[in-house]
Amino acid sequence: MSRRSFLRGCAAFGGVSALAASLAPLRELGDYTNTEQFLQKYYKELTPSDMTKVITRIEGEVERQYGIRPHVRDLKPMDGVEFVYALNLTRCIGCRKCVHACVKENNQSRSPEIQYIRVLKMPHGSMDVEKGNHNYDSKQVPEKGFFYMPIQCQQCKNPPCVKVCPVNATWQEKDGITVIDYDWCIGCRYCEAACPYWARRFNFTKPQIPKDKINPDMSYLGNRPRKQGVMEKCHFCIQRTRVGKYPACLEACPVGARKFGNILDPNSEVSYILREKRVFIQLKEEMGTSPRFFYYFDK
Amino acid sequence: MAKLDPSAQKRSGHTANYWLGGITVSFFSLTIFFAINSKPYVAAQLEIPLVDKKFLDTSPWRQTYADLVKAKEDLSDYDCYACHDKSKPPLIRYDTNQKIIIPKEHANIEMSHGAHERNNVCYNCHNEQNLNTLQVRDGKVVKFDNIPQLCGSCHGPTLRDWEAGAHGRTSGYWDRKLGDINRLSCANCHNPHAPDIPTREAAPGPRYLHEAPSHEPSKSHH
Amino acid sequence: MIYFIRNYVTFLLRCARIAFIGDWRYYAWMGALTIICLLGLNAYAKQLVHGLITTGMSDEVSWGVYIANFTFLVGVAAAAVMMVIPVYIYGNEELHDLVIFGELLAVAAIIMCLAFVTVDLGRPDRFWHLIPGIGQMNFPQSMLSWDVLVLNGYLLLNIHICGYLLYCRYQNKKTTKWFYIPFVFLAIAWAVSIHTVTAFLYVGLGGRPFWNASIVGPRFLASAFTAGPAIIIIALQVIRNFTTYRIKDKALLTLRSIVQVSMIINVFLLACEVFKEFYSGTAHSASAKYLFFGLHGHYALVPWIWTAITFNLIAMVILSLPLSRGLRWLDVACVLSIIGIWIEKGMGLVIPGFIPTPLGAVVDYRPSFNETLVCLGIWAFGFLCYTVFLRMSVPILQGRLSKNNEGQIDSEMYKLDKASIINSNFP
Repeated sequence: MSRRSFLRGCAAFGGVSALAASLAPLRELGDYTNTEQFLQKYYKELTPSDMTKVITRIEGEVERQYGIRPHVRDLKPMDGVEFVYALNLTRCIGCRKCVHACVKENNQSRSPEIQYIRVLKMPHGSMDVEKGNHNYDSKQVPEKGFFYMPIQCQQCKNPPCVKVCPVNATWQEKDGITVIDYDWCIGCRYCEAACPYWARRFNFTKPQIPKDKINPDMSYLGNRPRKQGVMEKCHFCIQRTRVGKYPACLEACPVGARKFGNILDPNSEVSYILREKRVFIQLKEEMGTSPRFFYYFDK
Repeated sequence: MAKLDPSAQKRSGHTANYWLGGITVSFFSLTIFFAINSKPYVAAQLEIPLVDKKFLDTSPWRQTYADLVKAKEDLSDYDCYACHDKSKPPLIRYDTNQKIIIPKEHANIEMSHGAHERNNVCYNCHNEQNLNTLQVRDGKVVKFDNIPQLCGSCHGPTLRDWEAGAHGRTSGYWDRKLGDINRLSCANCHNPHAPDIPTREAAPGPRYLHEAPSHEPSKSHH
Repeated sequence: MIYFIRNYVTFLLRCARIAFIGDWRYYAWMGALTIICLLGLNAYAKQLVHGLITTGMSDEVSWGVYIANFTFLVGVAAAAVMMVIPVYIYGNEELHDLVIFGELLAVAAIIMCLAFVTVDLGRPDRFWHLIPGIGQMNFPQSMLSWDVLVLNGYLLLNIHICGYLLYCRYQNKKTTKWFYIPFVFLAIAWAVSIHTVTAFLYVGLGGRPFWNASIVGPRFLASAFTAGPAIIIIALQVIRNFTTYRIKDKALLTLRSIVQVSMIINVFLLACEVFKEFYSGTAHSASAKYLFFGLHGHYALVPWIWTAITFNLIAMVILSLPLSRGLRWLDVACVLSIIGIWIEKGMGLVIPGFIPTPLGAVVDYRPSFNETLVCLGIWAFGFLCYTVFLRMSVPILQGRLSKNNEGQIDSEMYKLDKASIINSNFP
């Protein structure tokens, strides 16, 4: 063998060993994925027995990670139900209790911080969100001359996020909630770019939830803990609303600014509001998204 | 291109060998560098404190008489005739500016219900014939645990909204077939004597993913 | 059949072997590129473990340099096929061989594009969800699904065309027109489509007024057809200087005219955009304000865009003057165009679309060190691929690597080193 070939061989060997060593950090991948997760089928293709297996897997994972055995259900939409959210902007005082109640109910990451609801402090007289202040730190709310507008996923009737998802990981259900299959999402963040309301959140790293803060009452499409690299967003507390309860943000609101219910039921409070109140604002209506969120002023 | 003579050719050949050797050495040192450097990457994340428990508290701002009864609390504060005389309705005194003088026994009350001192008379709501009850303007007696009927006698539209579930705090079930809605009563939020909701502290604002440690709150409206 | 496979495998093995043979400049270049690649790979491994928090992206600016580079490179890939038009449509036979260099550049660029998209994914292990039939592909609604199909199709098209032409040359066989001419014409149309589809990724988002404009598609194509041929001009000169392959100046000048016209169109479209954003003064121009003048105290992109515009204008002026017929000035103009358009496509298009957010917040984006390493690694990998492609294709096109000299031992392969070529009698 000539010297040149020998040296080429050495260099190649060096290259291969450097290649192997460069992948050293992958040792920490840990429970990034396993065969079962990797091969898991799309939500809409799961048979009931498949779903039982999946739920058992999820419950096991949560127990291993947080020490609590949760109760995960796959709740289906109720018949004759279409959810609508009405928010009274005269009442909202901007206390942000809804934000934190949501975080607690839906097992959102505390560090890095993920919050589905963003409250904007708006000056009187304008609905231009660019004039809004996200970081108001008022000691005393509400401040005169401003109103407060909490914004979360509007569960649009014509959702741009559903249109753009390349793998159909997000879709709108019969009762109006736009859901995400966290085990199908590939994390391309196209939906985050598409949403006109900045409602979607991405797990940039492994979410951190203190063990004692876990809400064990979970649902597959709702508040089960998400993994690194997938999208999440407000889902109208699907684990509560699909069993007839109010979402956590509504219950936390101390002034009763939030109203939620079934628009197909003429006796619900949202039907009453949409009948009786006068001016409704659907944010960015011109986008054609037809949101299910109706903001209104009482006076 | 000029032809190289044999010795130059040999030199350029040697250069290639040197470079190959150098590359081999760099690859091996890269291997060692990767092996040493594979300790966990710690993203400089701020230690985000958990939100103060007070912002997670969902209990009503005020307790009404009905709540106290349900909780079997001490109701002696509501026994008016422990101090007052059953035969005589208490006298309301006014100062020179027509403002009510709150007696020192009821010093915790602040009177500011309505603009222009509209409700300057306690007996607009309290029943002077029976201090343990309330009254509406047409004389109908209202019990202490039925506040909405009293408030609604003036605040009609609000009462209608409240009954429909559109005004005030609710909790429980939107689907009445599966459970009950729990409507908070007027006095759970509004102090009947000073019904304006006072300002309070807001929970802290959002944090950003790549916050610099010395992040200052954005000035003006951003 | 077996004979055919054996021949093909031999061909591939010889090509692979020649990739490891060269003079000291080749080793230095490939060594440096490999080191950068490995550093990038290591950075990506860290990103896989810890998530995209190792980058500078956030919920506010959720696409960064990865997608910016992807967008730029799709343009390069599309434009690399530009060489094809003069040859096949105008019958300019002199540029015939150069088509292969252009298409190989397209292959390298597409490989880089696919790499950039993969490193941008939050869950790359779930890539199989995108495969139609096995996974769930949201076709035709999602423009990303279109992008996946057209990019991979384009890659296969170009690999087929180059592979077929090179293999025929290797075997000293005449090409069968039907095996590649239809594909060439398909590739021309497909090239326009890959870049239009990528543009539509952005245009289709109603919630982002900076992108939701009809000028984005044409601007993409104009800038692609400026930067792409500019890169080919540089690449052809590199081939000229480092191999004995003869490239006529005419080829470079043909490409120059493409760059010249495209750059003028690109600058015109920029003027159109600027007018539209700032004359009417609606709230929709907030992103443009952020980009060109800064917004609410955030000025991060302002120096970048003005540098890009300056470079583009200077390049346009140089290209319009006859002095750019001189190669040195042409090179300057090309380099300025490439940098200017890279900035425009990346920092000038992707990032401002996110700032301000749809809710009006302004959060700056700065790529992290890890992110930059991954980008450099992928770029180095692309250069590596293209160098290897050239290292294989130039000898084949020159006839030095062909079926005729099969079976020679390694020491004979030595003769393919640059130093010995100089002493050979090959033209």
